[in-house]
Amino acid sequence: MNLMSHLIAGFPDAETSIAIADALVKGGANILEIQLAFSDPSADGPAIQTASTVALEKGFSTKQGLEVVKKIHERHPETPIYIMTYGSLAFTPGIENFVKMCKDAGVSACIIPDLPFDCDEGLTEACKKHGLENIPVAAPSMTKERLETMASAGFKYIYAALRAGTTGSETTIDQATLDFIDTVGKGGAKVLGGFGIRNGEQSKVLSKHVYAVVAGSVFVNIVLGNEDSAEGRKKAIAEIEAKARELTGA
Amino acid sequence: MITSNNGFFDKFGGKYVAEIIRRPLDDLEAAFNKYIHDPEFIEELRIIQRDYIGRETPLYFAPTATELLGGAQIYIKLEGLANTGAHKINNAIGQCLLAKKMGKTRIIAETGAGQHGLATAAACAKLGLECVVYMGEVDVRRQQPNVATMEMYGAKVVPVTSGSRTLKDAVNEAMRDWATNFKNTHYVLGSALGPAPFPDIVRTFQSIIGEEVKRQAAERHIDIAAIVACVGGGSNSIGVFTPFIEDKNVRLIGAEAGGIGPNMGENASRMTGNASREGIVQGYKSRFLIDEDGQSLPTRSISAGLDYMGIGPQLAALGESGRVEFTSILDKEALEAVKFFARNEGILFALESAHAGAAAMKIAKELPKDKALVINMSGRGDKDIFITSPVFRPEKWKEFLKAELKRLENNEDIHDAEIMNK
Repeated sequence: MNLMSHLIAGFPDAETSIAIADALVKGGANILEIQLAFSDPSADGPAIQTASTVALEKGFSTKQGLEVVKKIHERHPETPIYIMTYGSLAFTPGIENFVKMCKDAGVSACIIPDLPFDCDEGLTEACKKHGLENIPVAAPSMTKERLETMASAGFKYIYAALRAGTTGSETTIDQATLDFIDTVGKGGAKVLGGFGIRNGEQSKVLSKHVYAVVAGSVFVNIVLGNEDSAEGRKKAIAEIEAKARELTGA
Repeated sequence: MITSNNGFFDKFGGKYVAEIIRRPLDDLEAAFNKYIHDPEFIEELRIIQRDYIGRETPLYFAPTATELLGGAQIYIKLEGLANTGAHKINNAIGQCLLAKKMGKTRIIAETGAGQHGLATAAACAKLGLECVVYMGEVDVRRQQPNVATMEMYGAKVVPVTSGSRTLKDAVNEAMRDWATNFKNTHYVLGSALGPAPFPDIVRTFQSIIGEEVKRQAAERHIDIAAIVACVGGGSNSIGVFTPFIEDKNVRLIGAEAGGIGPNMGENASRMTGNASREGIVQGYKSRFLIDEDGQSLPTRSISAGLDYMGIGPQLAALGESGRVEFTSILDKEALEAVKFFARNEGILFALESAHAGAAAMKIAKELPKDKALVINMSGRGDKDIFITSPVFRPEKWKEFLKAELKRLENNEDIHDAEIMNK
């Protein structure tokens, strides 16, 4: 099954985040969602916010983050890299500059949840111009009308957040979830579905309905608390590979 | 530019939020547009404003200040006399009443100085709603009296330990809660900022300040030359400015937190400093203290309520168009203003409002004697006693705190001891 797995560039440090990417790919992840840490990640839960704060405290910058991305891309040229971040980091340098910087680092797509599809400051256009995809994020709380507008807007991929709320809490996959996924994919977009995926059982159920299963906080949590010692980081990397194997059924 | 154009004030504003928060915003917008035109809702609000908040608040002529400053006649709009001690109650009551109409049973809020949290907690107690207030850990420490009061009103105060542990982090935390719980929960945003429709909603509920000033001035034939108000997010300023935006004879002046100096990290000046830039943060486009990547920068102010990296989008637009002038007030100037108005007028400004007072002290002499300069005193300074006492009377305050601590540690019943004159 396809797994889009998540890591934060520069967390716990540049070197380890590259090793985490290696472990994820080794464990079977075939898309890497790499988050550029932002000071106010309002759509993320506590795990990712804490990890982002760690990265920022160590002096993370967009430039450094994209250098990490570039190195990961060079090591795994076959694995598409999708950048996830917030509007501030894309808008401040200028949307087109940002997309171009991403392109130069080997990024294939952008996921920026607070630049909504109908008010994206030109993100979709800039992505098109530079050969990237803009992947909007759908939520189950969207009105049917808005969701259908998004679904039929011609996006190649749509990220379906499977639950109300932020990342990192547990998600139940019920009939309503599956109906939501079906609506997201109605216009032909490939659905990346996640939010709160923690075990192989969940991803197995979900994989039948989506193009790729998304898992994020589960990996970040493995690193949190283990990031201060070399031994801890080594242990975390091994656990991440094992978790990726569990989620991909490899 | 009195209301937004589909959520935008010129280029600022908008609804830059993840879809997880879009639905509650759209629902809120629809409900607000419905109830704000509902005569029953307006009448209910008007009665609460009169009987509970204590409106209208006085427009006080300050004779000694006028004489000492030697220029325009100084008038002070005493929002500090509103129940709960600040203008924040105008918005809290309005939004809580609206939430109740929408069938919500739980209210969340964010707070910096604590005045908005306190006002929301009081509004919830009055209207029978559950209340949770998010507050940065740093602000919890520096605004303990307000935390204690919120708890007395029955609110749960949650210290936020993420990020810089101040107002912006409390906003993030409240947004997260709302995204998860919006079915039964309304988020009472405390300033005229954030994603649309909040800037329009907060301004609407706060405009009563300016409407009263306008009416009071007309009744008493006061010729207003300028109005000055402090600007954190900007709810009291946009509230007092709104009815005067079209009247070009009245100068509108916003006082930002100049902190301890002009350098990065020393202040919270979004319109006057050189550290701020246009950005999209926390759901809206405005001017922010962010770096060249778009990361939020540290801010600093003695007043927790002004210590915020963004400014309401309408004020940013009015500032860029030149309609609202901005000035920056240092911490020490604000403290001087607290002392000046307390000693000379018997009015204790909140540290936030004292920024407006300090700006007025600078501007007054530029204006003719037959004209009025209105200071919006957004709140009163009782809550700041733990910040101002160590400055104005450090030794006595230290003794007091030591003695109180000792009594607490000894488990003495302080109040009984006082009554018994022990």
